[in-house]
Amino acid sequence: MTSGIVFDIKEFAVHDGPGVRTTVFLKGCPLACMWCHNPEGQSIQPQVIRSLSGERVAGREYSAKELASLLNEQATILRTNDGGITFSGGEPLFQAEFVGEVIDYLDDLHVLLDTCGYASQQDFLLLLARSNLIFFDLKLFNTEAHRYYTGCDNDLILNNLQLLSESGTPFIIRVPLVPGVTDTDENLAGIAKTVAKLPGLIEVDLLPYNRAAGSKYKFAGMKFMPEYDEGRPLNINMEIFEQAGLKVKLA
Amino acid sequence: MNERLILLKRRMKAGEHRTMRQAQPIDLLPECESEGLSWPRRVARLVRRQCEAEHVFIGPEEKIVFTRTVPGVPPVYSPEDWSNLTAGRILHELGPVSNICADWELLLSQGLLGRRKVAETTRARTAEDSCAVDFLESAIETIDAVLGLATRYAKQAGLLGKQDIASILESVPAQPAHNFREALQSLRLCQAVVWLGGNYHVGLGRFDQYMWPFLRSDLEAGLLTIPDAEELLAEFFITLNKDSDLYPGVQQGDNGQTLTLGGVKPDGSSAVNDLTRMVLRVSADLELIDPKINLRISSQTDLELLCLASELTRKGLGFPQYSNDDVVIPGLVPHGYDLEDARDYVVAACWEFIIPGRGMEVINFGVVSFPATVDQAIRVGLAGGMEFDEILSRTAENIRTQVYDLADAYSRLLLPPAPYYSIFMRGCLEQGCDLSQGLKYNNLGIHGAGSANAADALAAVKQFIFDEHSLFPDELLAALQVNFNNCEPMRQKLAEEGPKVGCNDDRADAMLSTLFDAFASSCEDYGRTSREGIVRPGTGSAMYYIWLARGHEGMREPVVGSTADGRVRGEPFSANLAPSPGVRVRGPISTLQSFSKIDYRRICNGGPITMELSDSVFRDPESIRKVAKLVRIFAQLGCQQLQLNSLNVETLMDAKAHPEKHKNLVVRVWGWSGYFCELAPEYQDHIITRSLYQVE
Repeated sequence: MTSGIVFDIKEFAVHDGPGVRTTVFLKGCPLACMWCHNPEGQSIQPQVIRSLSGERVAGREYSAKELASLLNEQATILRTNDGGITFSGGEPLFQAEFVGEVIDYLDDLHVLLDTCGYASQQDFLLLLARSNLIFFDLKLFNTEAHRYYTGCDNDLILNNLQLLSESGTPFIIRVPLVPGVTDTDENLAGIAKTVAKLPGLIEVDLLPYNRAAGSKYKFAGMKFMPEYDEGRPLNINMEIFEQAGLKVKLA
Repeated sequence: MNERLILLKRRMKAGEHRTMRQAQPIDLLPECESEGLSWPRRVARLVRRQCEAEHVFIGPEEKIVFTRTVPGVPPVYSPEDWSNLTAGRILHELGPVSNICADWELLLSQGLLGRRKVAETTRARTAEDSCAVDFLESAIETIDAVLGLATRYAKQAGLLGKQDIASILESVPAQPAHNFREALQSLRLCQAVVWLGGNYHVGLGRFDQYMWPFLRSDLEAGLLTIPDAEELLAEFFITLNKDSDLYPGVQQGDNGQTLTLGGVKPDGSSAVNDLTRMVLRVSADLELIDPKINLRISSQTDLELLCLASELTRKGLGFPQYSNDDVVIPGLVPHGYDLEDARDYVVAACWEFIIPGRGMEVINFGVVSFPATVDQAIRVGLAGGMEFDEILSRTAENIRTQVYDLADAYSRLLLPPAPYYSIFMRGCLEQGCDLSQGLKYNNLGIHGAGSANAADALAAVKQFIFDEHSLFPDELLAALQVNFNNCEPMRQKLAEEGPKVGCNDDRADAMLSTLFDAFASSCEDYGRTSREGIVRPGTGSAMYYIWLARGHEGMREPVVGSTADGRVRGEPFSANLAPSPGVRVRGPISTLQSFSKIDYRRICNGGPITMELSDSVFRDPESIRKVAKLVRIFAQLGCQQLQLNSLNVETLMDAKAHPEKHKNLVVRVWGWSGYFCELAPEYQDHIITRSLYQVE
């Protein structure tokens, strides 16, 4: 029996996929994006959050069976309301074996994998085979920039994207718009070109930067150090995607 | 909204009509005394003199008229006579009959002259019965007074060259209404006079049922277009906001001017019609806090209607409030309501289910303090070495004592006569009996407050002391004694690790069900009250979630100190049905699952599950559709009542710091919505801190 670390479970996650869904936030992420708005999801270790409303520990260990039965308590409700479970994080692929086992125990529920795509081919395929819909993040087209802002190369990500498009599983590309970093015309054009002809792609969602991104760091005992100007107006260039024949929307 | 409506709304908000208010209330005490009038006659005289004292005011652009200019409601007895009259008795709240619902269909279908004829016929039949004659002549006096007021308005309208208004008022409220506009005008005037006579929490009932025939025939005959009808409806709603600062309530805004939409017809088929949808649309468009809207739904309700209702929730006015027919009607029937009447229920000022025109029920007479019943049992039980089951039995005994105390106090209740209000009740004029003498349903309603905290306290004691043995009884007792001073680790354990209501955790939810079952049993065992009704238990808390924690002048319930769920002294309790303040839940679905475990066939007085959704949930049509689905889940799970609100914590905090910038911010408080900046600070704080389902 596998166990895993979860830092939050949120019901009625209206922006995390179709229908009425519950999102499971897996703790631990291979990336460390400079703009990460879930800093408590980065480390796999449980950590103390000290906020104005008191103290709590983020990160709880569940066995796969335990988590699945908790989610199954609402299976009928989620199914009859066109929803299901979204696995997000952190990074669900970081605990791929655990998540895979949870999904196997789920009671016929629609599964959405919300991922940065950074994982071994084996882990990626493991969860891809068990998911009905994928939210696949693409942040930076340029490898160097990717390494600088997220701490990792993007070749694994691009490889997995290729596997995804060959799998037949529908997916949505999600691009976080960070002022002056990911929202440049050059980067957006690069992403558009990369995904333009991929089979299975439903649409591209642009996620505007949220200035509340840094608000959790202090509570998690971490430091928020953006090397970009948070106040700079976003370049929301949807045309680049439209010209590439892509459906694009602001999420 | 067209130009005219924008203007009317702006004028109403600016309070231009208030400049017409008279400085002093009238004084009718001398004539009441010199003529030696009976109580019913005095109340009738009050209504008459108030109507006569009204200055006619017809604002420019108005189509539906009546603006109250008489400021207060004067007494009809001297203080000395009043204390003799009420010696040994108790009055409900302010005294006058409140929080019942008229059958406005009687007005619209018969007109005041039709009602007057009924009164005359009965008077002829009951000439020997001085009581009946007294009542009937009082009722007739008030009818004549309202007709006089209508005539003065008609004349003034004629002088101003507003022939349309003049001819409408020559027809209604004297005659039955012939069309939608007449019906609205008749209702506006006659409902306002109920307030004028000192009765309050005057509901509007099943508005989309009794108004729909008029609208439908106007539309079918081509006399009105949909936009015309919406404009009239909007103006009617604006008029309802004009006088609300004169209406009494615990906090400004608590005026009980509610209406109920949807539900089923007497035969059980859906009662939803185009007016149901129009009211939801117009209310969302106007963004005014009156009338407060209740929507009756079921698990079968069309999702499109729920989407429309969710659009209204998005406005942050704190309504519509939902009631689930699947649960409410089967709860009323075993409590003695005829099926057809149960199907005709409306929601009173806050939450309670009442039958228009057929109920003289006192549905919010007080509360059982669950925290007090549980806290006493825990302290005595642990000190005395009781087993957990004995603590539960002790709790049940305490609940019984509180229920019986309330019901016994109720036997001393004195209901003042209300001859004018009686005109719109079934059977009063027909039998020559004032509504205060009783109608078809005369039940007593009481609520169980602070239920989540009380259940959490029991669950914590069971878990840590009796099951895990990780806490000793003496330790907990000592900590409670000192308000958890220097016991922070224990308090945190109780608060953070104990089973909590709202998480679909059977360990806590079983305690919640146990409390309400004990409550229901005590009400059932009490049997008939002095007013020949039963006792209805409910789940509301009104202002008691604060009062029970902090005390309040004149409150008979004891103040509760720190509690075994890790709550420190002075912290508010859960409001209505909600997780205890500060409890972290996975989300609204678990909370609905928790509260679906209450047996609502026995707990039939109403009281909503109260939820706040972050306003970010309402960002786009797709998510609004999800809110509609959440409402459907509420119904499918078999919960009874739901109060859903949209709010933003930052906005509330800013409003507290800078009230001048947020004068229009409306929030749901307990059973009603009010302006946030007009609330006392403790209510503001509670709203800010109470469980908010943040969605990113």
